[in-house]
Amino acid sequence: MAYVQVSQDPTKDWRNGYLLTTLKGLGYTTKVFLRQFFRLEKTVTKQWPDEEPDYSSRFKGKHFLTQRPDGRVRCTACFLCATNCPAQCIKIVAGETAEQGIEKFPVRFEIDILRCVFCGFCEEACPVDAIRLGPEYTMAGLAEEKWVYTLDHLLNRPAIREKIGAAQLSKKVENEKWNANANH
Amino acid sequence: MTNTENTLNAEKTQNLVNLTIDGKPVSVPHGTSVIEAAKKIGSKIPHFCWHPGLSVAGVCRLCMVKIEGNPKLQIGCNTQVTEGMKVETKHQEAKEAQKWALEFHLVNHPLDCPTCDQAGECKLQDYYMQVGRYDSQVNEEKVLKPKALDVGTELILDTERCILCSRCVRFEDQVSKTSSLGIFNRGDHSQIGLIPGRRIEHNYSYNLVDICPVGAFTARDFRFKCRVWFLEKTKTTCPGCSTGCSVSVFGNKMEREYYRLKPEVDHEVNGHWMCDYGRKMYKHCNASARQSVPQKNGTPVDWNRITNELVQELTKARNKKVALVLTPQYTNEEYALVLSSIKQILGTTPTVFIWRPETENPTEFDGVLFRGDHNANTKGLERALSQANIQAEIIRGNIEPLKNANPDLTIVLGPEIEMAYGNIENTLQSLSKLSNVVYFGVTLSDTTKQFSLTVPTKVFVEKNGTYLNYNSMPRKLIANAPVFSQIMGLDDMFAAALQRIEQ
Amino acid sequence: MPLMKNDYLGRKPEDFRIFSIFEGKENHRTLDAYRQHDGYAALTKVLKEKIPPDDVITMVKNSGLRGRGGAGFPTGMKWGFVPKAPGEKYVITNFDEGEPGTYKDRYIAEMNSHMLIEGMILAAYAIGAAKSYVYIRGEFIEERKWVETSIREAYEAGFLGKNILGSGFSHEMDIYFGAGAYICGEETGLISSLEGKKGQPKLKPPFPAVQGYLGKPTIVNNVETLAAVPWILRNGPDAYRKFGTEKSAGTKLFNLSGPIVNPGCFELPLGYPLKRFIYEDGGGLLDGKKLKAVIPGGASAPVLTAAEIENINLDYESVAAAGSMLGSGAVIVIPEDISMVDVLHNIMAFFAHESCGQCTPCREGTGWLFRIVDRFKKGTATKADLDRVYDIANNMAGRTICTLSDAAAMPAKSFIRKFAHEFEARIR
Repeated sequence: MAYVQVSQDPTKDWRNGYLLTTLKGLGYTTKVFLRQFFRLEKTVTKQWPDEEPDYSSRFKGKHFLTQRPDGRVRCTACFLCATNCPAQCIKIVAGETAEQGIEKFPVRFEIDILRCVFCGFCEEACPVDAIRLGPEYTMAGLAEEKWVYTLDHLLNRPAIREKIGAAQLSKKVENEKWNANANH
Repeated sequence: MTNTENTLNAEKTQNLVNLTIDGKPVSVPHGTSVIEAAKKIGSKIPHFCWHPGLSVAGVCRLCMVKIEGNPKLQIGCNTQVTEGMKVETKHQEAKEAQKWALEFHLVNHPLDCPTCDQAGECKLQDYYMQVGRYDSQVNEEKVLKPKALDVGTELILDTERCILCSRCVRFEDQVSKTSSLGIFNRGDHSQIGLIPGRRIEHNYSYNLVDICPVGAFTARDFRFKCRVWFLEKTKTTCPGCSTGCSVSVFGNKMEREYYRLKPEVDHEVNGHWMCDYGRKMYKHCNASARQSVPQKNGTPVDWNRITNELVQELTKARNKKVALVLTPQYTNEEYALVLSSIKQILGTTPTVFIWRPETENPTEFDGVLFRGDHNANTKGLERALSQANIQAEIIRGNIEPLKNANPDLTIVLGPEIEMAYGNIENTLQSLSKLSNVVYFGVTLSDTTKQFSLTVPTKVFVEKNGTYLNYNSMPRKLIANAPVFSQIMGLDDMFAAALQRIEQ
Repeated sequence: MPLMKNDYLGRKPEDFRIFSIFEGKENHRTLDAYRQHDGYAALTKVLKEKIPPDDVITMVKNSGLRGRGGAGFPTGMKWGFVPKAPGEKYVITNFDEGEPGTYKDRYIAEMNSHMLIEGMILAAYAIGAAKSYVYIRGEFIEERKWVETSIREAYEAGFLGKNILGSGFSHEMDIYFGAGAYICGEETGLISSLEGKKGQPKLKPPFPAVQGYLGKPTIVNNVETLAAVPWILRNGPDAYRKFGTEKSAGTKLFNLSGPIVNPGCFELPLGYPLKRFIYEDGGGLLDGKKLKAVIPGGASAPVLTAAEIENINLDYESVAAAGSMLGSGAVIVIPEDISMVDVLHNIMAFFAHESCGQCTPCREGTGWLFRIVDRFKKGTATKADLDRVYDIANNMAGRTICTLSDAAAMPAKSFIRKFAHEFEARIR
């Protein structure tokens, strides 16, 4: 046998009343303010854009195209990303070269970022690790044209070089390094 | 004569052999190969080198089957059926042999599927998915061979992708009879190549792309344009000449863009092949080559008003002289409808002219498929006119006879495939000098703006109907969704016009 | 050429000399020398006495003569397959001796090629062919001259040409030079090459006896087979059967090579003990080395270990029972200090180079096997490679148009099975 003794209405208790709870809250705010003001505690708020937030390295942000060691685009215009894209936001026009080792390359590579759902399927589908979703998370802009990313923007924008640097290099180089390490 | 034609002929003689394939009884004519007999009951034996339109090579060694009482596996393509034979196509041993045959094919195959045009319709891919061993044993350096060779006006050859099935060599020897290809070197350095001093320049070169089971031959015209999995096909008839080959038109439904034509097997007309001229028949169908909006004296007219405009033009010409210029590139149904409805609207029969190419040799035939009459429906037009009891005069380039008739209204059903007419600009120019011309056509040009009414028409892939080929055999057209959604066909337009008149 | 050393079961050497009879004689390649040894007697007898062609075939059948090129198919039976109806028919001599270790056909040409020419005319008479070809390997420059001279002599003496010896039988003979492809030793490959095409075997059926050269009935026989025919017709099938065993009748040329004291070409009756052949006729291994292995029938025959050859006789059945084959009779001796990996590497390089490239399993398989064996040689192979050789070899054998893939698969399998420890030692 158990029962609850409802001897008093909790809302009518003075400890739960307006004045005391307000003061308690103000007190806590003041405490945190002072602690953070005197740098006794780390602030959670980031002073963006002055301060960059830390994102996971797996963050799927703005796309970029990787390069071959000589700076040419790594993409072979196989259309697998475009095929796999659930939002159908990738448009590729393929071209042909007579260059040794490269037969097919993208003349145009466009991503309609307003359609993109950042699912990363393009990354998954790519057989040559040519497209990746990078760490950039700001994509604000004003003019309409900005929303279709061109090949040049995807491949050569300075921001991506700055952010990830050497990781933009081709996978082949990485593989070679890996193999060299594995062999010895 | 092809193997399959043999089969068809032999079937008539009722000389049948009874055997069982995978436990199913089947009766086929004497001399049939196991692979064909199996096809008949729907058990498909994988194969690369065997092609029903070519001789048997027996080199890919993929079509291995188990035949009861035979210790060794046999190839299905070179083994003829015998009475009481028991064939197992899915026998464990046969399956293992097929797995390994595919494995051997991949030893030196570059696996550059991402950049290969054939990917998606590649037999090597398909069979590996169906019967291959997924834990590949191949871990070798590959033999490198020349890639992207220029072997002909329409073809590019990648000898690395080639699996040396020799279909192309046999095609060159047996069908086009040009013998410009051969296999050079020995062992795993064997490669397909041009015989010195020759190039593939005949009118059937795209068939090599079709019969190549992998992407060794790629078509210059289609190369890198589109991946095949975006394409959907429509089976229809080629409008390129009076042979009327059965073809498929491949287009990307989403982009509303056509990319290529391929032959469909039709033993009565084209067998397995089609010509290079016919392969171009998609080009005039695409939006970039076409007129989408009707024009009245050079100003665009809304499609909703086009019937009104047409009725207006026709009713104005009642009891006056009307000339009707027809080209042999429309369907039988369109001819019948146009002739009857114009007669009904005008109350009289117009003077009919047949506009044919300036220079042509309609009786010419290249011995394979291609005929000198580059109009798909010459026979159909003749029949339509004779059924309507109309005597028509033929005009070629020079429109003097039409001018002499001095018509108050001229209705021109212009050619759909202007390529067949050489340079039609001059003829269009002289037509534009006439008063009141209603022109139905496909292509945009400055001259067509000068007509009093220019109406874009549908092209063959957008029409249902029939052609009569050189042999008066009906050839069927099957409609695809039009490139311009608002476009009206002749049938809709004249039917609506008739309705308007009756109101 | 080394001297023949024949001694068999107490019989004198001349008792079973068919090809080696000219050895040591002066001017032994001439027509006169051949005539001194009853040359063209068989042909004269057949044509003069008007022996029906079927009787000639029956005699060859009864003699138990089997194809000496390697397969050992009964010769008389092969001739019997040719349709009897008159029409264009051909006899072709397979002188494209390419099997590594074999040099018996050139020995016959070197001795006296009239033996071959008479045999060819007799074969042509038996099947009713008006034209025959000698398909000589391109590298055999001297042999080509000798055969050419002999044919010219035969023409001059009236054994070739129109209306031979007044019998009404006419026959023309020509020489065709190969371009150095091993595969042209395969009969249909040879026919393709003779037709002016790339030397590639053809699909069977149809068999050459029904549709061969230019689509006409054709018999293709080895030099040694045809060269034995005159002797058989001269002395009768029973005399021939006196040599050899029940199923492998007659004598055969055997080639002994390797580090042997006395290597060379030996004419021996079939059924001769292999060990005795190596140690007595061949004089044993050089420097008294120990025998490790023997390849009894040219590079394509499975290898036999020293223990396995103890009780083997050189006839088709005995060698087959031991799991190898007599092939062309090229006995290759491998001593203990030679690595079997290196031997297999050599053999595989040969087959990878000589595959015609027509059928996929052979074209890719021979190259693949070579690459794997190459890894063993370089010491970069893995354990999986050892099993892979088996898988590849098993799936090449019997899956192609001709038997070159079998010929490549058999040594690969037998080497790795019998000398696994040597291969395992090379695993990385």
